[in-house]
Amino acid sequence: MLLALSVVGTLYTAVAGPSSAVEEPAANQSTKVQEGRDLYQSGCSTCHGLNLSGGAGGPSLIGVGASSVIFQVESGRMPLAAGVHQATRKQARYTLEEIDALAEYIQSNGGGPTVPEGDLNDGDLQLGGALFRTNCASCHNFAGSGGALTYGKYAPELESASERVIYTAMQSGPASMPRYGDNQLTVEEKKAITRFVTYITSAENVGGASLGRYGPLTEGLVIWVVGISVLILMTLWIGARS
Amino acid sequence: MSDNRPEHPDSGSLPEELSSPRPSDQASGPGNTRESDVSADSHTNSSSGADLYTSGHGEGQRHSDQPAKAAAHAPHAPLSERDARIAERKVASLFLVAVLGVIGFVVTFFAQEQEFGQPGNAYFTPMLGVFMTMALGGVGAGTVLWAKLLMVDDEAVQERHPFGSAPDERAATAKALKQGIADAGLPRRKLLRNSLLLGAGSLALLPLPFVGFLGRFQHKERELATTSWVEGVRLIRQNGTPVKLGDLQIGGVESVFPDVFHGTIAADSPALLIRMRPEQLRLEGEQQDWAYQGHVVYSSICTHLGCPVKLYEQQTHYLLCPCHQSIFDASTGAEVIFGPAARALPQLAISVDDEGYFIAGGDFAEPIGPSYWERG
Repeated sequence: MLLALSVVGTLYTAVAGPSSAVEEPAANQSTKVQEGRDLYQSGCSTCHGLNLSGGAGGPSLIGVGASSVIFQVESGRMPLAAGVHQATRKQARYTLEEIDALAEYIQSNGGGPTVPEGDLNDGDLQLGGALFRTNCASCHNFAGSGGALTYGKYAPELESASERVIYTAMQSGPASMPRYGDNQLTVEEKKAITRFVTYITSAENVGGASLGRYGPLTEGLVIWVVGISVLILMTLWIGARS
Repeated sequence: MSDNRPEHPDSGSLPEELSSPRPSDQASGPGNTRESDVSADSHTNSSSGADLYTSGHGEGQRHSDQPAKAAAHAPHAPLSERDARIAERKVASLFLVAVLGVIGFVVTFFAQEQEFGQPGNAYFTPMLGVFMTMALGGVGAGTVLWAKLLMVDDEAVQERHPFGSAPDERAATAKALKQGIADAGLPRRKLLRNSLLLGAGSLALLPLPFVGFLGRFQHKERELATTSWVEGVRLIRQNGTPVKLGDLQIGGVESVFPDVFHGTIAADSPALLIRMRPEQLRLEGEQQDWAYQGHVVYSSICTHLGCPVKLYEQQTHYLLCPCHQSIFDASTGAEVIFGPAARALPQLAISVDDEGYFIAGGDFAEPIGPSYWERG
């Protein structure tokens, strides 16, 4: 009995411990916020200001919410390498725990959108496809391989983006990307899009080579250059005298 | 184009001209026997002195180097029995490759199991392609090689026949025609001739009504200039749900359609609802009234060539057309700031109804999409 109780207790703490609001919420939360505050002060405050209100080149982070932090830091865009017009995807500088702590700290100052609990990848694939083609494909390409925007900016390819990054990008609308609030695309719809993006970017290339997944442009180029060359060589061979 | 026999300048030597080539034309067919005829021909012609072609046209030259050419491409010596057997094996092995290709294709096709939504075998389609290449290419290459190695390789020349009728036939026809005209009395009966010309000429006017008929397909007045948007109609998403004030966050964007029958599939009606901070909107005149609390709606059909303009940058408020890179500034009434588009995207007047849903204030004030003749 005692053993069973302790097993259940351990399991409970293991599974629900971090997110549980029942046991010592304040202490748990505040240590994380404190940890995030320390990380922020040392890593982000130079640009975003000591009190999150923005400063030398960095915008205010009050009210941007946890999802914005997760998108920017997990995809490696923040910290910024240099003052460029578009932050590029890099290797993340912080661990997932550190990112969570940072997100918690930003969230505690002014709120904002957060990532929902649970699996982000359990949406309806078909619905996700339809929504992706309506809302996302015009910039990110129908297969998620990205595309050009104005004046050298670009919509990045989505294959390297994690599920959390895909989801938080829709929530927070980073850089040029429009923001899709929960009234516009519900949580279920965003999960469906996330599922579709992870599916389409990991799907096998039925033709053997992806050709960049840019559609008719590269495919036509290959057909003209390779296909026609082979045909010409064949006709030369057939017409040549033995 | 140019035949072997020249037009005959005069009818003097007509009979012998006709009699000599005709029969041989039909008898010889493809073969080198024709050549003797031609050379005999050119001899008779040059002796008569009335020919054009031996002097200037290079025809004679062609004939003269024909034997040399034929020698260069003389049929190669038949293969020895041993070589022929090797060649036969080469061809047969290619045909066997085709058999292997067919077997491989069928096996690959039926060995594949795939479930929807699950990644399948990346080699499936390429393998099908490889086996199909083996099957079709094996038969094709084998056949070509067969023809190259084993078939008889001698060259046959087939002369062209002159296209015109024989001179005596032409003369006879001309004579019959002249006789007919004379018999009908046309040169003498001027009234008959002139009235016939008038009657036949007036037939040319007969298709005139059909030209006028085409005009009935002219589009209706301002049909191209109007869309399905009407006053008071709600803005709906592609799935049919209406858009409420507050659904879009600042920096949000939504494709909207008129809530009318077939509104979401009408080609002229797609529009883009954009929300920005009200102070970021720098509209002028009546366009200010067409926006609603930082929400603006523009036609999403490019004024250049009608591509869908849906690439929106929420920081710069630029709308980019993916076809020819026209850039429209959504904060200043979608005016063109770059690219080949000549006009701003038409703006749709919007407001909000009692229940908080967006409604249109009417149709676009100007025609949407690319220019057309009657646009004015």
